[in-house]
Amino acid sequence: MLKVTNLHASVFGTPILNGIDLEVNAGEVHAIMGPNGSGKSTLSNVIAGRDGYEITEGSIEYLGKDLADLEAEERACEGIFLAFQYPVEIPGVSNMAMLKAAINSMRKYRGQDEMNAGEFLKLIRAKAELVEMKQEFLKRSVNEGFSGGEKKRNEILQMAMLEPKLALLDETDSGLDIDALKIVSHGVNALRSADRAIVLVTHYQRLLDYIVPDHVHVLANGKIVKSGDKSLALELEEKGYSWIDGQNEIKEAS
Amino acid sequence: MSTSVKISADQNASWLEQHAELSLVGAELDWLNQQRKTALARFEEVGLPSIRDEQWRYTNLRTLKSQHYLIPSRGSNNTASLPIELPATDNSRLVFVDGYFDAAHSSITNLEGLSFGSLNASLSQTATKLEAVFGSCLSAEQHGFSALNTAYCQDGYVLELDKNTVVDGVLEVYFVATQAETVSHSRNLIIAGANSQCRIVERHIANDGLLYINNTVTEIVAGDNAHIDHYKIQQESDQAFHIGGVFINQAANSEVKTHNVALSGLVTRNDVNCNLLGQGAHNEMNGLVLGKGRQHIDNHTEVNHAVPNCTSDEYYKTVLDDQSRSVFRGRIIVAQDAQLTNADQQNNNLLLSKTAEADTKPQLEIYADDVKCSHGATVGQLDPNSLFYLQSRGIDTESANALLTFAFANEVIERVKVDAIRKELTQTIAGELLSDLEELV
Repeated sequence: MLKVTNLHASVFGTPILNGIDLEVNAGEVHAIMGPNGSGKSTLSNVIAGRDGYEITEGSIEYLGKDLADLEAEERACEGIFLAFQYPVEIPGVSNMAMLKAAINSMRKYRGQDEMNAGEFLKLIRAKAELVEMKQEFLKRSVNEGFSGGEKKRNEILQMAMLEPKLALLDETDSGLDIDALKIVSHGVNALRSADRAIVLVTHYQRLLDYIVPDHVHVLANGKIVKSGDKSLALELEEKGYSWIDGQNEIKEAS
Repeated sequence: MSTSVKISADQNASWLEQHAELSLVGAELDWLNQQRKTALARFEEVGLPSIRDEQWRYTNLRTLKSQHYLIPSRGSNNTASLPIELPATDNSRLVFVDGYFDAAHSSITNLEGLSFGSLNASLSQTATKLEAVFGSCLSAEQHGFSALNTAYCQDGYVLELDKNTVVDGVLEVYFVATQAETVSHSRNLIIAGANSQCRIVERHIANDGLLYINNTVTEIVAGDNAHIDHYKIQQESDQAFHIGGVFINQAANSEVKTHNVALSGLVTRNDVNCNLLGQGAHNEMNGLVLGKGRQHIDNHTEVNHAVPNCTSDEYYKTVLDDQSRSVFRGRIIVAQDAQLTNADQQNNNLLLSKTAEADTKPQLEIYADDVKCSHGATVGQLDPNSLFYLQSRGIDTESANALLTFAFANEVIERVKVDAIRKELTQTIAGELLSDLEELV
């Protein structure tokens, strides 16, 4: 589904990613771990198409298409979803209005008719239940005055509504207490399916106790330095990121 | 009979010559004639505003001055059918066409303690009561257009509320322009007795393409503990000059809220001035401007805290696209005696294009030492992070821009307490920004 080849990328001119190779297939859950500043968030933002995040070398292929040719909104319409590390507060735009605009924009892109109001309400109520979000939150402005946990739950609600093919979850566990983490994980697990791929970007192993990945990659200095199965995350938790740094230096020296 | 005059700064005299020929309302009233005379003298002294005048520095009336304008005479317009169909209503409604009362399209529900009708009728019935009020809210330092309004006022509405009268519905007034190259002067008075309450919406409308000047003045005199909500929705023709003044005197514990929404017109100048004259009075000024094309919108506001313990809250927002321009001046004066004043002022400007321009000038003059005054002025663009957030949800750039712009403007609309007006404005503004948006909000 997603094929990242020798990806080099810079953020507003500063090189951050230095040759990433990654292949993600439908039905798989990948975790990308790494210390602060390793380029984890950059990778997800480059895939989502954020302004200022520029591919300088290599390519990202998604469902056979070169992502460089697609605008951020087109990528979303093609099924890519980014759950933000820091979801933006948008005073004056209600959750409902944004999701209605999003769903209809996507349907238009795919040549489908708009969803009628009744159908939309039924859908959003069902999905809100999944992340245990009260109805009143739907009418409130996007993320305005939400707690950290509520914002992250709202991200998962949006993911559930938009039903992406490829979901990138950027530090979705950061700032969550244990109860919120369980709710968010439950929501994500409910969305696991054979035709959907999920990429979890995280600093800590904790999230992976709840959402068990098929593959784990460790990112350092803008490169994937180690890949493995879920046991790699546990090893990393035990030994710390300095373990990777040490390995990295050895590799570079040789 | 109509009178042709060319508006030009160096031809003020032509206005004066023609004055004698017009048949104006209340011509038999000495006090009114005296006021007109004084106003003409003021106009003679200051003339039409020019950019040399500090209060008009950013608003150039060059295009207005190169054109002849007629003051339409009573009955010169054919009002059998209006060029714009007005929506049906259960509310009391007054309609003015080219400045004159149009009884055929008006409907008034009688209510005890409420008098709502034309200035013309009011002057012939209760002139003595008006004498004490007419002109009382205007400063002697008024600009040329306000002076012209007094000198030439043709008609307008008078709303009188006896003490303790509470009007539940919304009172409606329409000002419709139908004749090209005319200048109309409507003069409106709201006189609210003690403990009275009402909500009134003034709408200024015309079809696009029509060139005219609408020079309108509304005076609001709020008695003790009176509560008045005044809405002014300006949807003039795209060629129109709208010069509007709302001048307010507030007695103790009164509450006056003005909502000033400018959606159209080529050149708009609004002066909203309020004198807080009795302790415990509260004034709220809300304003929204949507500028596009080559529109120019100038809002000058002034709150004068003359006595202690009053509060004022001002919130003006501007959205500018294309080559439109806006000016905001917000002056707050706190007199030496006006201790324990609490005054707040915000002016936020959103520029949607590189060629739009906003000039904003908060002006606080505080002579008392125990007061709380705050102000903020911003000029900015849409937040790229919010934009990306919406785009990452599949919303196309145009819709994302429109959603965020709507959200910015809507913060002022949310202050509208009348559900029907708020909904209408929400729909109108959403529709202005993007046709699809109407269904979302």
